[in-house]
Amino acid sequence: MKRPGLVTALVHVGLVLACVVALYPVLWVVKLALSPAQALTLSVSPFPEAVTLDHFRDVVGATDSQGRWLFGRQLGASVVVSGLTTVVGLSLAVTAAYALSRFRFPGKDAGMQTLLVTQMFPATLMLVPLFSLLQALGLLDSWAGLVLVYSTSSLPFCVWMLKGYFDTIPRELEEAATMDGASPWQTFVKVVLPLARPALAVTALFSFMTAWNEFILAATLINDAGRFTLPVALQQYVGEWKTEWGHFAAGALLVSAPVMALFFALQRFLVGGLTAGAVKG
Amino acid sequence: MRWLAVALALSACADAPAARPLKLWHAYRGGEEQAIERAVARFTEETHVAVEVLSVPYDAFSSKLTSAIPHGAGPDVFIFAHERLRQFHRLKVVAPTTQRLERARYLPSTVEALDVDGELYGYPLSLKTLALFVNTALVTDPPETTDQWLSQLEATSDAERARFGLAYAAGDFYLHAPFVFGFGARLFDDAGRASFDTKGMARSLAFVKALQTRGFMPQEVSGALVKSLFNEGRAAMVISGPWFTGEIDPSVRYRITPLPTVSETGLPLTPFLGVEAALVSSRASRPDDAHRLAEFLSRGEATALRVNPGRQIPAELAAYERPEVVGDEAIAAFRRAAERAVPTPNTLEMAKVWEPMKLALRGVLQGEVSPEAAGALAERRYAALNREQPSGRDRPGATSPWPWLVALAGGLVAFAVRQWRRRGPPVPFARRYPEAARGLAYVAPAAVGIAVLIVVPFSVGISLAFFHHEAGDYTFVGLANFVDILTSKGYRVTEPLSFWFTLAVTIAWTFVNVALHLGIGLGLALLLKDPLLKLRAVYRVVLIVPWAVPNYITALMWKGMFHRQFGAINGLLAALGLEPVSWFTHFSTSFAANVITNTWLGFPFMMVVSLGALQSIPQDLYEAAEVDGASKWTQLRRITLPLLKPALLPSVILGCVWTFNMFNIIYLVSGGEPGGATDILVSEAYRWAFQRNEQYGFAAAYSVLIFFVLLGWTRLTRRLTGPEAA
Amino acid sequence: MSGLRLVGIRKSYGDHPVVKGVDLEVASGEFLVMVGPSGCGKTTLLRVIAGLEAVDSGQVLMSGADVTQVPPRDRDVGMVFQSYALYPHMTVRENLAFGLELRKVPRADVDARVAEAAAMLELTNLLERKPKALSGGQRQRVAMGRVIVRRPRLFLFDEPLSNLDTALRVQMRGELARLHRKLGVTMVYVTHDQVEAMTLATRVAVFDKGVLQQVGPPLELYHRPGNAFVAGFLGSPSMNLFDARREGTALVGAGFRLEAAGDYAGDVKLGLRPQDLTVSADGPFTGEVAAVERLGFDGYVFLETAAGPLTARFDGSLPVEVGQTVRVRPNGDVAHVFSADGARALRHPEAPR
Repeated sequence: MKRPGLVTALVHVGLVLACVVALYPVLWVVKLALSPAQALTLSVSPFPEAVTLDHFRDVVGATDSQGRWLFGRQLGASVVVSGLTTVVGLSLAVTAAYALSRFRFPGKDAGMQTLLVTQMFPATLMLVPLFSLLQALGLLDSWAGLVLVYSTSSLPFCVWMLKGYFDTIPRELEEAATMDGASPWQTFVKVVLPLARPALAVTALFSFMTAWNEFILAATLINDAGRFTLPVALQQYVGEWKTEWGHFAAGALLVSAPVMALFFALQRFLVGGLTAGAVKG
Repeated sequence: MRWLAVALALSACADAPAARPLKLWHAYRGGEEQAIERAVARFTEETHVAVEVLSVPYDAFSSKLTSAIPHGAGPDVFIFAHERLRQFHRLKVVAPTTQRLERARYLPSTVEALDVDGELYGYPLSLKTLALFVNTALVTDPPETTDQWLSQLEATSDAERARFGLAYAAGDFYLHAPFVFGFGARLFDDAGRASFDTKGMARSLAFVKALQTRGFMPQEVSGALVKSLFNEGRAAMVISGPWFTGEIDPSVRYRITPLPTVSETGLPLTPFLGVEAALVSSRASRPDDAHRLAEFLSRGEATALRVNPGRQIPAELAAYERPEVVGDEAIAAFRRAAERAVPTPNTLEMAKVWEPMKLALRGVLQGEVSPEAAGALAERRYAALNREQPSGRDRPGATSPWPWLVALAGGLVAFAVRQWRRRGPPVPFARRYPEAARGLAYVAPAAVGIAVLIVVPFSVGISLAFFHHEAGDYTFVGLANFVDILTSKGYRVTEPLSFWFTLAVTIAWTFVNVALHLGIGLGLALLLKDPLLKLRAVYRVVLIVPWAVPNYITALMWKGMFHRQFGAINGLLAALGLEPVSWFTHFSTSFAANVITNTWLGFPFMMVVSLGALQSIPQDLYEAAEVDGASKWTQLRRITLPLLKPALLPSVILGCVWTFNMFNIIYLVSGGEPGGATDILVSEAYRWAFQRNEQYGFAAAYSVLIFFVLLGWTRLTRRLTGPEAA
Repeated sequence: MSGLRLVGIRKSYGDHPVVKGVDLEVASGEFLVMVGPSGCGKTTLLRVIAGLEAVDSGQVLMSGADVTQVPPRDRDVGMVFQSYALYPHMTVRENLAFGLELRKVPRADVDARVAEAAAMLELTNLLERKPKALSGGQRQRVAMGRVIVRRPRLFLFDEPLSNLDTALRVQMRGELARLHRKLGVTMVYVTHDQVEAMTLATRVAVFDKGVLQQVGPPLELYHRPGNAFVAGFLGSPSMNLFDARREGTALVGAGFRLEAAGDYAGDVKLGLRPQDLTVSADGPFTGEVAAVERLGFDGYVFLETAAGPLTARFDGSLPVEVGQTVRVRPNGDVAHVFSADGARALRHPEAPR
């Protein structure tokens, strides 16, 4: 059926409007980051009047008293912590989700319920017990502690989503592989995982984002500015008496950029990966 | 095993070498940070004691200290304002300096501030107080009395032309305190309890309110507005602290003087004096070195650095003899101001004053409560916030946790037995679960992780709900916390502080947000559905941008956009010829601001999920409907929506749970303004835990209630929607 | 040799028994077809043979060796799934080579065997395609090729033709038969389609409710069904079954009386194949025509009789109309007689001329 031209035009108008709303705040931050002022100034236009890279230079060039290049180290910390979180989170989530999707074992239903229920824990309030716990485990002031906490906190959602996706993969494919002579592990790695790629991509993205964006725990657990993650560094620009808006905006863009890049790289998987998982549940 | 090895390897890096450096924590930025770092470097040069300096983000500093210090994981020396001293003392984390401190070297009031029950703690570094900044181009002689001041304000104000005699952050109690004392009010009664409902308080509020109504100062003043008004010459005078000197445009000629005297009472407007001190941890690994460092930072060269580049007002008397200080008018002026100031009481009681006073102050300034009634309002809020420790005696069974634990264990056993009985005829385990071993092996790592790092902390959290926490001591109180919350003890059910009020707000918040997410997300998905649509990929990429932005950045970004004077939203309204809205002074607008922010960041998720769900609807259904003569609208209503329901429901449930607990947005955008009305349950619980004297037990009880509300709600939806839901 | 023997196989899911003690022997090189209505346990049995399901009790023997506890990959069997189960992320070539690569067959051998199988199945031009880009018949052939390249001693088929259209099904049936002749391996084939069973099998095993009803060459089962279920299941249209009673030399039922020979008495079940009944001017059965199926020179007529529905052949030239009342007579001695519960055959007609 052919769409009438008017309807198409209206669809485009609606979408363009939505895009403007989606982009305006971001452009506003870009403007703050590029404008010379450190404070907010009243202006509606999302485009800066004067452009300077000073804020970026300040943020990227920050060093501490020993001359260590803080931004570089913090970027490294973020990359390491988020990367490890992704790897650990993904390997935990994938195996657990596969078992929940395929095997029957005692406590399975209770396990699935627990996963959903953990989403209801108010996370901010677990800070105090978590601190004692990590100390007992000797994981205070270490990236390992952060990685473990991050990967488990994103785990319930990841498992839930992956399980839903695995449910959509026909069992017969695995049986065919078994008949072809594959061991359970080979079946999992050579047949199931390649087929679950969209869901894996989305899960990885989520684990990564959890770690990349978190700052309350990171600020509380880590005791060395050189090992802070980027969001903690960013938080320093929001002070008691004043907010360094220019630095904050520049930092915010730098912190957001990799996540955005990942999002766009993986966005073709988003619809499929998320839907089969989150939707089918 | 694999990740355990990684964990061990990483934690090994955290272990320090044999001669562990001293640890110094502070929350300074910019010049102040440079000053402290250079001072520490000098210290290491002189003493060869290595020091590790950590600059902690201000927002995280307090929670980091309160978590780390009781565990002995904190610094040897840390720099903090003296107001928290009593609390640190109660937690037994600060070492006394009475014997070591040479009192005579410091301004007397700064030493006085460090006194807790006759013992001194810490070494005073610098002081902060308030003074009057006067633009000398507009006002030649700084005012001595309030009468003089008022006439100057009258002469320099012209609200029509947006010119004001005065600008200061009037909604902040720290800046209002000088008026309270100036009008003769006392903040504490003879028993040391905070008192709000006093004559002096009412007069001080009336005075400030009059400044605003007579157009002498603008409404809803923020720090940013003060700065821009003063720099543009549109505010003749400003009340602010030492930090403001760095904000002033070099072209502005100004003087700093102490605040004037109140003509009616003859008392000066007396600001608080805040003393920043180097505090030595009671658990310092090498106490002598730690004290040496702390003392070093308070004197001599360190003081010089504090002045420049730190731009702080030093506490050491000798500093004022230094040539570079003698010539510095600003420092001299603040020293004079400090002589009139009173040290902020370091009592626990003082910590309880801020929130009620903020409520009263903003209520008066926004005209919602009269100056005379505001004291009573603060009084009520004070009573509600500061719960007495529930006494065990009038609640049976509330003295020891053991009967409860026994009952709990009994209940669990009974439940297990019932489950076992219900099983029915036994099927051999191996037949019932042929793949049990493999299944459990696959699940084990994740299950252990979740059990240790989520379930254990949560269980600890739950058990805290049965205790009362005060300064490190936990007392078992049984169900008292729950009873107090559910009966909204101490305040009316309809007040923002009540659990029921907050619950209603939370439900409204959740409902409105999820409805908007779903509506907008689904709407856009329907627009994007047509695979032949031009630019479809571009639209899709642009529309998920909000999802990709970390949500705390989103929150701060929108907070900025909702700024009363400099925000883009009000800018847009003005461009459209509408009145600017002061977003955070009314419940409805404040709530709306939160909702707008959260909607912006949340609709892409629903859009993506809806897109996926739409693709799963077979195209031939539409063709069949087309043949049956159904209009597009009928197709949407009778085919699309019913078929989407099962696919979207789990996401909607999840979305509800997430929104219900969406702490970042509430906390960072509205911050609960006005008066806690827009707080949701999680942010309220957070306040009880971290902003109201660490009432962890009460906060834990809140969390438990949140948990049960959500649990009940998901159960209910599952029952209502049948087995198709997750 | 590569024979297969099942001994006392039992299998249940939870409390629900699916296979209730099956004993079955398949000789080497045989083409055994397992038929039965859905839920009769035939697919479960096939999966038990494959090793995909563990048995509750019983034994699976291959070439005399007990393989009950042997995992599928070590049983040397190949299986074609109903849905084909082609790996969507691999090309046809990769799909075919997968099993060989897992078994560490040298590269050159793999290529040779894939090429051979592809040639045999006319897949050579499709080797670089992904399954998504294949038609139903092509996918079916890839699924078979995947088994062929591995040269297992036992081929298992789980309703492999049920997803194809009729014409293709006939063609693939022919190819399967050809394949069996060419490879000479043992094949076990599950279907619910009796035409496939009759045309492909060297022997047919009929299942119902988890129990093996009868096993034997197709025609044997057709002419000498062991019980009423087998009689009704094989043959199209289905055999007419009526309750009847022996009275002297005749069988008497509701509204009919039929002379029948044989040595039995009392209440029985009478079975008459539609092909053995003809519409004619006289005959023991009378009924109203409910439907007519004309196939050309003859056809079937569906009657409502006092004893129940009845299907009979009629001469295509007869003007039979719906609503008419007609009579039907058997073409000679054609009565199958079963015990009243249908469990035992009491008599079969003489072997066909």
